[in-house]
Amino acid sequence: MTEMDIQLTVNGKPAQVRAEPTQTLLSVLRDKLGLTGTKDGCSSGDCGACVVLLDERPVNACMVLAPQAEGAEVVTIEGLAKEGELHPLQRAFGETWAFQCGFCTPGMLVSCYALLRSNNNPSREEILIAIAGNFCRCTGYQAVVKAVEQAAAELRTANGGSEIRHD
Amino acid sequence: MNRTEYTAPATLEDASHIKKQRGAEARVIAGGTDLILRMRENVLSPALLIDLRRIAMDSITLTTDEMRLGAFVTQSQILASADIARLFPALCEACRGFAGPPIRNRGTVGGNIVNASPAADLAPPLMAYDASIVLTSVAGDRVLPLVEFFTGPGQTLMEPDEILSEIRLPLMPEGTAATFIKLGQRRSMAIALVNLTTRLTLDGTGAVSDARIVLGAVAPTPIRALAAEGMLTGKLLSDELFERAASMARKAISPISDVRASMAYREQMTEVLVRRALLATRDELERNQSGD
Repeated sequence: MTEMDIQLTVNGKPAQVRAEPTQTLLSVLRDKLGLTGTKDGCSSGDCGACVVLLDERPVNACMVLAPQAEGAEVVTIEGLAKEGELHPLQRAFGETWAFQCGFCTPGMLVSCYALLRSNNNPSREEILIAIAGNFCRCTGYQAVVKAVEQAAAELRTANGGSEIRHD
Repeated sequence: MNRTEYTAPATLEDASHIKKQRGAEARVIAGGTDLILRMRENVLSPALLIDLRRIAMDSITLTTDEMRLGAFVTQSQILASADIARLFPALCEACRGFAGPPIRNRGTVGGNIVNASPAADLAPPLMAYDASIVLTSVAGDRVLPLVEFFTGPGQTLMEPDEILSEIRLPLMPEGTAATFIKLGQRRSMAIALVNLTTRLTLDGTGAVSDARIVLGAVAPTPIRALAAEGMLTGKLLSDELFERAASMARKAISPISDVRASMAYREQMTEVLVRRALLATRDELERNQSGD
């Protein structure tokens, strides 16, 4: 099997890996780059435990082949905290107990992070749509909605009270 | 999925030449949301993947008489298009209920067609809007009505050397409305038990000049309920008419029982949902009229 050289940006840093063409982005992140925060749940694009941002959009890393990510900017759960400081969304998840077993949490956080980047005042319905591809089998969705609302309020305050909304 | 090679040609012409040489053993990969799954399950094991991401095939273009969607337009792009929301709302609606956001960000309109799932959510609205598809090969482009394309589950009229490059939707005449309804076991991340689109176009007198009833997940391919469509044509809209059409549409299908639903349930729900869709289409026509 011919391995390929693949260059991509992960959490703001350039990365180069050798991967088989059918190796998934998920496997590249976990097995080649040691970023094990992104979870392998169903391996079929159903559960959302492996959601990462690919060029700013949430995708299932198990459904992206490594060469499809060539030249792309990837953000994983490890990329949310800045300089040792948790992102407000991560803190809100902790404060509102928006997780139980925690397995869905990395993907859930990345989906919610993508939402808040384009919309810092989401409605309940918009939050539910944003996490429609993330399964929590402890069924803690209510707390997740609460966490996103709390983080959104904090982000609006940090933004001088103004709303951000773009698609 | 371990003996697969990979190439990302720079032009559609290069891709066509590769497809000509390698034929069926080479598969085009778009979003990969279906293909990767089938490779992992060893249902498909292509020797070569042709990734067309370097070729700009993801534009949405509006001309004077049609809308053109590049085959790589994603469900998310369709949802974000104001033109599609205005001109082909049933297509938008089909994307809204399609899987979840991470899949919609990858899944493409072309992939949904080429995979030829009987339950493909985008097939009923595209067929109801009389979509054509463009199949590109070294020999040139071949344009085919989508309604003729599907021949069975996973089976199409696409030749091994062809690549689906574009989807074309003719602009609808005034007095047109369409409705998409999907019945799944939940709102997101569900494969349809029944999905369908009804379209009605009225003439100046309020009679139906053109009708489409397209049904998915209830036959080996998405199908048109031709007899029901024919019965609607020329008539004035009424509840009684819709009931008859729904009952005729039920006779057009041949659903199976599977893990998601029984044959009897799909038959019953097809009739119920066709009637509901026709009623909603009439409501939409009235709203459009009062909006003028």
